[in-house]
Amino acid sequence: MSNNAAKNLFIYGSLLCFVVLIILTVDTMGTLKDRAPEITEKVDLGKQVWHKYDCIGCHTIFGNGSYFAPDMTKVTERKPLDYLKKFIMNPRAVKPGTAMPVLGISAEEADNLIAFLVWTSKVDTNGWPPKPILALGGNKKESAGEALFRKNDCAACHQINGMGGTAGPDLTHVGSKRPDINWHMRHLKNPQSVVPDSAMPPFEDLTEDELADLAGYLIEFK
Amino acid sequence: MQYKSQKIAQNFYTAAVLLFLVQVIVGIVAALQFMWPDFFFLNFNTVRTLHINALVVWLLMGMMGATYYVVPEESETELWSVPLANLQFWATVFAVGLVIIGYIVMGINPQANMQVFGTNLLNEGREYIEAPRWADVLIVISVLLFLFNCVMTVLKTKKFTAVQGVLLGGLTFLALMYLPGMFYTKSMVMDQYWWWWVVHLWVEGSWELIAAALLAFMLHKLLGTDVKVLAKWMYIEVGLVMFTGILGLGHHYYWIGTPKYWLWVGGIFSSLEPIPLLLMVWDAFRTTRETRAPVSNRLGLYLTVSHAIFNFVGAGLWGVVHTLPQVNKWTHGTQVTTAHGHLAFYGAYVLLVVAMIYVTLPSIRGVKEYNQTRGYLSFWWMTISMIFIVITITGAGMVQTYLERLFGLDYVTVKANYNLWFWIFRAIFGAGFLVGVLILVVDYFKLGKEKA
Ligand code: HEC
Ligand code: HEC
Ligand code: HEM
Ligand code: HEM
Ligand SMILES: [Fe+2]
Repeated sequence: MSNNAAKNLFIYGSLLCFVVLIILTVDTMGTLKDRAPEITEKVDLGKQVWHKYDCIGCHTIFGNGSYFAPDMTKVTERKPLDYLKKFIMNPRAVKPGTAMPVLGISAEEADNLIAFLVWTSKVDTNGWPPKPILALGGNKKESAGEALFRKNDCAACHQINGMGGTAGPDLTHVGSKRPDINWHMRHLKNPQSVVPDSAMPPFEDLTEDELADLAGYLIEFK
Repeated sequence: MQYKSQKIAQNFYTAAVLLFLVQVIVGIVAALQFMWPDFFFLNFNTVRTLHINALVVWLLMGMMGATYYVVPEESETELWSVPLANLQFWATVFAVGLVIIGYIVMGINPQANMQVFGTNLLNEGREYIEAPRWADVLIVISVLLFLFNCVMTVLKTKKFTAVQGVLLGGLTFLALMYLPGMFYTKSMVMDQYWWWWVVHLWVEGSWELIAAALLAFMLHKLLGTDVKVLAKWMYIEVGLVMFTGILGLGHHYYWIGTPKYWLWVGGIFSSLEPIPLLLMVWDAFRTTRETRAPVSNRLGLYLTVSHAIFNFVGAGLWGVVHTLPQVNKWTHGTQVTTAHGHLAFYGAYVLLVVAMIYVTLPSIRGVKEYNQTRGYLSFWWMTISMIFIVITITGAGMVQTYLERLFGLDYVTVKANYNLWFWIFRAIFGAGFLVGVLILVVDYFKLGKEKA
C-alpha cells in the first residue's frame, strides 16, 4: 500500500464511520422517549440536585461513575421512599458509621432527588443490573415467619448470616440481643413507638398472627 | 534543539510533572478513604475529582508541550508566536488553579456550588468533566489559541508532514469532542450518551491519534528510521483506531437506556480495538530491530517501546476482556473498570508523555548525554507498582463481580469485608508509585544540569 492510499483510507474511513455514528445517534435519540417515563419538572430538578452535590463522585448511575458507593439506578425499587429521604438528608443519623457524609440536602431537594431516582429506575436498561444467577433459592420448606421475612423483603435492609442489605442492623443474633417477642411485634408494627426516630418503615398491614409468626422467627436467631 | 522557540515546551512539561505529583498524592488519599472515609478534610468525591482532573490536565499539558516541540522541528521554522504560546500557557495555569480552588471550596461547603445562569458555579457534577461551564469556555479558547499558533507555524513553510498532519488532526478532533460535554440535558440517558462522546472519543479516538503521531516522531528522532515507512504504518494504525474506536463507542451504550442494537455495534467494533494497538507494538519493535546505528538516548527508546507495550496491555487487553456485552453485563461499573482505567491511562498516556519528555528534554536543555540512572529507576518504581495496583484491583473486581453480581451479596458488605485487604494493598503499592514519581520529578529538574 502506498502512503497516499493509507492516508486516504484513514481520512475517508474515519469520515464514513463518523457518518454512521451520527445516523445511529439520530435513531437512538428518537427511541429514548419510549424507553423511559416522561421527564416531569420534578425529575429535572432532581437531576440538577444530583449534579449540584456531585453524587457521581462516589456513586454510579446506569453503572457509570465512581465505584466508592452502590449503584443508584434501581435503588428506589427495593427501599421505601420515606427511608431513602431520611437517609439522603442525614445518612449518619439513619446509619451510624456509614461512609456517606451529611451533605446538607434540604427536604425539598431530597424529594426532587427521589423523583429523579424513581425515573431512572423505570428506564429500560436492557436488563441491567442482572439478577444474581448464583443466589441460593428458597427451595427448602419455609416456616410462616421465614416466608413473611422474604415476602416483605426485610433482606433489602437486614442481613442474616451474611446475606442481605446493610441499611439496618445485622439480625444474625437479634434473638440474643432482643429476646422479647412483644417488643418485636410492637417494633414491626410501628418502629418509632419503641425506637425514637427509627428509619425502619412500619409494617402496618401485617395481622396480629403474622406479627407473631415473624417476631417468633426473629427471636430464634440467638 | 534547532529552534529557540521549542523551549516553550519546557513550561508545559514542568506544569505536567508537578500536577502528576499532585494527582498521585491525592490518589493515595482516595485509596485510604476506602478504609477511613473521614480522615481527610475533603470527602471522597472531591478527592477523586482532583485525582482524575489533575490526570487529564497534566496529560493535556504534556501533549501540548510535546506539540510545541514537534511542530517547529517538522516545519523547520520557529514557532509562529512565542508570546502567544506563553500567554496560552499562563492563562491555562491560571484557569486550572481557579477550578481547583473551586473544587476545594465546594468540597468544604457543597452549598457554594450554586446555579448561575443555569449552570453550576464550581462543579458540573459529571465525572471527568466536572469543570464548570465558564472553565469549559476558557479551556476551549486555550486549545484554539494553541491550535492557531501551531497551524500558523505550519503555514509559514507549508511542510505538511504526515506526523504533524495526524498530530494536529488529532488535536483538532480532541477540541471538537469537548463540545458534546458542554450542554445540559434533562434526560440522564442523553446526558450519559453525550458524556461518553467526550470520554470515549477522547481516549479511544483523538488521543490515540496523538499517540500514534508522537510514536512515529520519537522512533524517527531516536533511530533515524525512514519517515516514509513510519508514516505508512502510522496511517494504517490511526485508520484502524478510527475504524474500530468510533463505533466501539457502543460498548458504553449497552445499559444506559439506549436501544439493544448497540450491544451488537459496540461488541463487534470494540473487540477489534486492540488490533491497532498491537500494530503499534510491532511497529516499535520492528523499527528498533532494524536500526544498526548505536542509540545514545537509550532511556528515551526504552520508554517509547514501553509506552507501546503498556498501551496494548492496559487499553487493549484489560479493555477487551470486559468489552463483550455478555461479560460487561456482570462487570459493568465494578472495580474491574477501575483496574482497566488505571493500566490504560498509565500505559497509553502517562508513559507517552514521560517518553516524550525524555526524548526531547535533553535537546531542549542543550545536552547530548545525560545521566540515565534515575530515569530507569523511576520507570521501574512506577511500572512495578502500577502492575501490582492493577493486579490488586482486578482481584477486588473479580471478588465484587462474583459475590455481588452473581451471588447477590450487598455492595457495602463486599466492599467493607471481602475486599478490605485489596484496599490495603492498593494503598501500599500506591506509596511505591509515589516513590517513582518523586524520582521522576527530581530527575526532571536535574536532567542535563549535572555531569553525564
Ligand atoms: C462522599 C461520597 C458520597 C457522596 C458524595 C454521596 N454518597 Fe450516597 N452513599 C455513599 C456511600 C459510601 C453509601 C453506602 C453507605 C452505607 O450503606 O453505609 C451511600 C449510600 C447512599 C444511599 C443508600 C443506598 C441504599 O441502598 O441504602 C443513597 C440513596 C445515596 N447514597 C444517595 C446519594 C445521593 C442522592 C447523593 C448526592 C446528593 C449521594 N448519595 C452522595 C457515599 C456518597
Ligand atoms: C428500609 C429499610 C428497612 C426495612 C425494609 C426493614 N428494616 Fe428493620 N430496621 C431498619 C433500621 C434502619 C433499623 C434500626 C432502627 C430500629 O431499630 O428501628 C431496623 C431495626 C430492626 C430491628 C431491630 C434490630 C436491633 O438490633 O435492634 C429488627 C428486629 C428489624 N429491624 C426487623 C425487620 C423486619 C422483620 C423487617 C421486614 C418485615 C424489617 N426489619 C424491614 C431498616 C429496615
Ligand atoms: C488508551 C485507551 C483507553 C483508556 C485510557 C481507557 C480508559 C477507560 C476508563 C477510565 C474507563 C472508565 C470510565 C468511567 O470512569 O466510567 C473505561 C471504561 C471502559 N473501557 Fe476503556 N480505555 C481505553 C481503551 C479501551 C479499549 C481499547 C477497550 C476495549 C477493547 C476498552 C474497554 C472499556 C470498557 C468496556 C469500559 C466500560 C467498563 C464498564 O462497563 O464499567 N477501553 N476505559
Ligand atoms: C499514573 C497513575 C494513575 C493513573 C493514570 C490513575 C488514573 C485514575 C483514573 C482514570 C481514575 C478514575 C476512573 C476509575 O475509577 O477507574 C482513578 C481513580 C482512582 N485512583 Fe487512580 N490513577 C493513578 C494512580 C493512582 C494511585 C497511585 C492511587 C493510589 C493508590 C490511585 C487511586 C485511585 C482511587 C482510589 C480511585 C477511585 C477509584 C474508585 O472510584 O473506585 N490512583 N485513577
Ligand atoms: Fe470506551
